[in-house]
Amino acid sequence: MKYQIVIAGIGGQGAVFLVKVLSIASAIKNQKCLGTENHGMSQRGGSVSCYVKIGEFYAPAIDEGQADLLIALEGNEALRNIQYLSQEKGVIIVNSDHNFPKLSFETHSIDAFSKAKAKAFPINALNVYMLGVTLAKDAHFPFTCKEIEEAITQMNPKVAEKNIAVLHQGINDTKGIK
Amino acid sequence: MKQILMGNEAIALGLIHSGVDMVSGYPGTPSSEILGNFQKFRDKNSLEAYAQWSTNEKVGFEVAYAGAISGKRTCTTMKQVGLNVASDALMSASYIGLKGAMLLVSCDDPGFYSSQTEQDSRSFAKFAKIPVLDPATPQEAYDMVKIGIQLSHDFETIVMLRPVMRVSHAREICDVDESLHVKANEGNFERNIPRWGAVPPAGRFRQGLEQIERLEALKMWNWDHLIKPKIHALKGENILCLTSGTGDGYVKEAIEELEIKADILKLDMPYPLPKEKLEALFKDYDKIIIFEESYPCIEEQLSSPKLYGKLTKHLHLIDEFSKDKVLDALVKTGVMKATSAYKSEKYTEELPKRPPNMCPGCPHRDVHFAITKVFKKKKSIYTSDIGCYTLGLNQAAIDTILCMGASISMASGFSISDPDKTVIATIGDSTFLHSGVAPLINAISQNHRFVLVILDNSTTAMTGRQTTPERSNPAQIDIKRIVEGCGVHCHEYVYEPHLEKTVDFIKSLQEAYKNATAPVVAVIREFCVLDKENVPSYIGSITVEIDPDKCVACDACITHYKCPPLHYNEAGKMEIDSFLCAECGSCLEVICPTGAFVKKEEA
Repeated sequence: MKYQIVIAGIGGQGAVFLVKVLSIASAIKNQKCLGTENHGMSQRGGSVSCYVKIGEFYAPAIDEGQADLLIALEGNEALRNIQYLSQEKGVIIVNSDHNFPKLSFETHSIDAFSKAKAKAFPINALNVYMLGVTLAKDAHFPFTCKEIEEAITQMNPKVAEKNIAVLHQGINDTKGIK
Repeated sequence: MKQILMGNEAIALGLIHSGVDMVSGYPGTPSSEILGNFQKFRDKNSLEAYAQWSTNEKVGFEVAYAGAISGKRTCTTMKQVGLNVASDALMSASYIGLKGAMLLVSCDDPGFYSSQTEQDSRSFAKFAKIPVLDPATPQEAYDMVKIGIQLSHDFETIVMLRPVMRVSHAREICDVDESLHVKANEGNFERNIPRWGAVPPAGRFRQGLEQIERLEALKMWNWDHLIKPKIHALKGENILCLTSGTGDGYVKEAIEELEIKADILKLDMPYPLPKEKLEALFKDYDKIIIFEESYPCIEEQLSSPKLYGKLTKHLHLIDEFSKDKVLDALVKTGVMKATSAYKSEKYTEELPKRPPNMCPGCPHRDVHFAITKVFKKKKSIYTSDIGCYTLGLNQAAIDTILCMGASISMASGFSISDPDKTVIATIGDSTFLHSGVAPLINAISQNHRFVLVILDNSTTAMTGRQTTPERSNPAQIDIKRIVEGCGVHCHEYVYEPHLEKTVDFIKSLQEAYKNATAPVVAVIREFCVLDKENVPSYIGSITVEIDPDKCVACDACITHYKCPPLHYNEAGKMEIDSFLCAECGSCLEVICPTGAFVKKEEA
């Protein structure tokens, strides 16, 4: 199996957390995994993009036109990174209001900010919420809900219950949407 | 045992598994997590080991080096520009050598993600004549720490490990040792004045000769242990790709995906290279292409008309590697025809830029705002330094950034070269203690006239909030007393989120400057909003909203104050994003010319 994921967002939104969860999930699945993160100055409130490559890979970064999936924690950060998506199979999971433009990629958009404002979930769990949306919407996503739950638990057992609840919120909120 | 590790965690674990029990360094992205993780592993497993942040890289290097001379296994960590600071010690230590072992970890940052230069530490190792190992992944970084420590011990030389950001901050499932077979190794300094105290010319000349012999032996070791075992895997294609570090991964993936027939030989130790042995391999190939990052370190050691690399302009000279750059090199060298396999269209419409910015609630923002408010731009020069406050660039509150400590020495220089302007230097507490004290002494002893504002948030914030000397030992180390010890008064202000007060304080410095004959120095006691221990309780309690009737969309707040939550809404009025806002209330005063920022009262 080979699957490449770009995670885009703003420094502080928890993109690095998702890299960690996905690499633990890969280990659970017995798959090779190579990821890369942003730290230091590149982390301070600016645009961040992290990569996760699952399967036989040797280089941590993703080139243009290669990614299977783009998880974007904010709309503009999705648009800033669409060149990394594969033209044939690229899927976008994005947190955006109804203004997200129509693109040639399979796109699943949800207004997670509005949901958080309405107190559906705490804003600091936006990353986990969007992972839930991914589980519900990306048909080729290489992990099951159970594997992700297990990874979240391994990562931090103390807050796992809360995080898993948000994960399911993300899944349930998107189920009805086409 | 399999473990998911970030590159810097893998290096820290490798150090523990190599019996290293003395680590000192100075934080700098992308190297910072090595020492921190070493401390974590040590504490978790109750190991006996010294692991401390030093005041700067040179100090860190010298502490670890003395350990190695005493027979201990030691390590020093830094980023590539930190190596410039430590280079004085390194150049000399390379002649003298050591008894135990010492690994110098210098992390590079191709692509300038968090650095002011893209310099290649491998080339620095070549300059200093010490061997260097160049890992491509966290697993390799772990393995190479072990190789490096053993090599250092066997050859009595400092060994460099050079991970780039894409190794330090990569995450991989690594195969690591199970047991923690670490016991503190005994240190015993044995007096040997001709060696440890060698003076020029005779002593150093002799050590120089030994250094040359050592390098010849290391070249053979490189061939026998690292290169020769890989030769049998070469398939006898027409093209040979010589790779180093992360370049190897990009080449492997690109060659496989583009279905190119080529042999790949990774050089784990890019210096010193067994030149003749390697060149003898070239006779069976039409072309040899060198993929390395970021200087032509390998290329400069080899010669053949069949070589293609950076010197021949067939490979990129700046920026980090990508498969597209590998493809480009293969096209330029005539190995394949041009394709757009690794190119795809960007989003065509303009997107709002989102550069790094200071956190909402950060006191630095208020200080920069106040300085530019009081000391008008036309008659001022703002020198600054390396740290979060560098991001005052966003507020156009900084004119120069050079390197650690330069804000003060450059303020001296400008006060001489352009005396009609007032120079205001800003420097953080960690940077001041790193390399700001010597320039301050210089300025005071020569009566240079400028204003120096030391921004003391009592942490090394930008690199992940490492402990500073003042924080770890407040009774002894105090910036105010250091300044006073240099012979000038130190103005002091304990930051409050009331811009009027901050502006008033800067005005008092302006007053003091009028009749000053020496630097006017101030320390502002701040906090870092990410530093949970120190954040005052009012943060998160003051909600501000913008009165749309008063907002005239004049841009003043987003131009000079630049707090991330500020943005225009669809009606063209300023709005505060409640998810980003720290609720510190700073913006209630001064920043809005029409007074549109108002406190939201509890409903």
